[in-house]
Amino acid sequence: MRASLRINVKAKWLWSCCAALILGMVITCCSITVFTVTQPDTAVVGSTIPISVKFTYHNIKGGNTENLVFGFLVPKGWAVSQNAKITYTSTVGDGKMVLMPSNVTEPQSNGLSWSSALLKKFGIGTNLVNDMEWVVYQSDVGLPLNDGEEITATLNISLKVGADNNNTLCKLGYLIAESHDGLHEVDSNIDQNGAKYEYYAEQITPCFMLTGGSGEVVDFCNPQLTSVDPPKSLDNDFVTLSFDGTVTKTALPSSSTIYLCATANTSDGKTYTVCDQSAKTQFTQTVAGSNKYKITIWPRSYFGISDSQTIVNMNYYVTDATGNIKVGYGNTASPFTYTFKCN
Amino acid sequence: MKEFYKFRRPAYLLVILALLAASSCKVESLRPVNEASKDISGNWSVIGATRNGTDLTSIVDFSQFKLTFSEGKYTLLNKLPFLVSQNGTYSLDNPQYPFQISFTPAGSPAVATAFTYPIVNGVRQLTLTFSPGCPNNIYIYTFRKAN
Repeated sequence: MRASLRINVKAKWLWSCCAALILGMVITCCSITVFTVTQPDTAVVGSTIPISVKFTYHNIKGGNTENLVFGFLVPKGWAVSQNAKITYTSTVGDGKMVLMPSNVTEPQSNGLSWSSALLKKFGIGTNLVNDMEWVVYQSDVGLPLNDGEEITATLNISLKVGADNNNTLCKLGYLIAESHDGLHEVDSNIDQNGAKYEYYAEQITPCFMLTGGSGEVVDFCNPQLTSVDPPKSLDNDFVTLSFDGTVTKTALPSSSTIYLCATANTSDGKTYTVCDQSAKTQFTQTVAGSNKYKITIWPRSYFGISDSQTIVNMNYYVTDATGNIKVGYGNTASPFTYTFKCN
Repeated sequence: MKEFYKFRRPAYLLVILALLAASSCKVESLRPVNEASKDISGNWSVIGATRNGTDLTSIVDFSQFKLTFSEGKYTLLNKLPFLVSQNGTYSLDNPQYPFQISFTPAGSPAVATAFTYPIVNGVRQLTLTFSPGCPNNIYIYTFRKAN
């Protein structure tokens, strides 16, 4: 019995070592080096812009055939999955990038789809409005990989910008990976140059500006005095308005009690104003002394419109307790505006 | 003769035991137990609500909002954004194993949504997922029967 046990223990060690060795060989593909994005700084709504993404898979191991994976962080309103064409050229062949099927899971994220996995890991980058999405592509064919090989590839993106017709400031994000390792964390694998393996590479670019649209300005880059969550909503949603008094000094006393003074415009041409300073209109300070506030309203009830009416947009100020001090858009006397729409 | 008797007695006993054992086995007819129909009638209050994953429970007063199911009809009291905004009739896709509930407001087409009906800490709950405004804004309300 004892002898048998000893044999089992030895076998267990042996199997563990072999498994670790085999696993190390299998899960290791390559390290990504040289990751360059070339994109314009500005564009006009409706135009098509060229973007190139160049990168190198370095120190390739194993004989797998793997797909190149590309994640693109963009405003949801641009409908990029319908408005981008992406091709690739590489030292092992050329082709086009196709949308990653939603039922394909990212290998390191316990069953999450690729876009969900990227959102969970990288969020919306350093953008400030939660109305961005990761659109994920993969190469149309698997690329054969050979030991010690180095593959240089360039993605050529042709993107029609501003499908929502909004003037936009945003920080686009880019991710390069491959289908086998996915978002594999850095481990003990060492690249030929002595650095640790980078199984994927990600970067968020500086603020990109889109002009010429007839819609409102959507600024993902700069802190705003007020913001609305969800960014896109209708009058039958709960809408949360935030006021950040730390963005700039306003006429409102710091960390005081502040109120919403708003006017709703309905589709039948009527206006409804709620501008008293009461519990109904009072913002709540998120943390005492933070000078950041929120108020959540159900617009249909808040403005008291009838069942047959629809609110098109809303103009609003933030006031002090007397109602005499009003802060508007950009800390001016003009009201903030919000249009109720889904696209 | 005496020894013969001694020899055969255990054999008789074994045969009798075997007969008793065999006769004690009886094939039972297994009948499936019918699943009870899910009865959601009563008054329901919201105990949890999220919008796109953000908890609304502490920032919106749901205490006055009531959803009542009774004899195939539902009524809304102190309305808030919900799957429907008018009273009407409701139905379950399967009374015993429901996965979907359908609300038909008076004078409007039916609106259906998936729902779950778990027992949590011994109390039946009702969870509904819907979009009262933009389709991309997903709300989840969790109801519990009001006293």
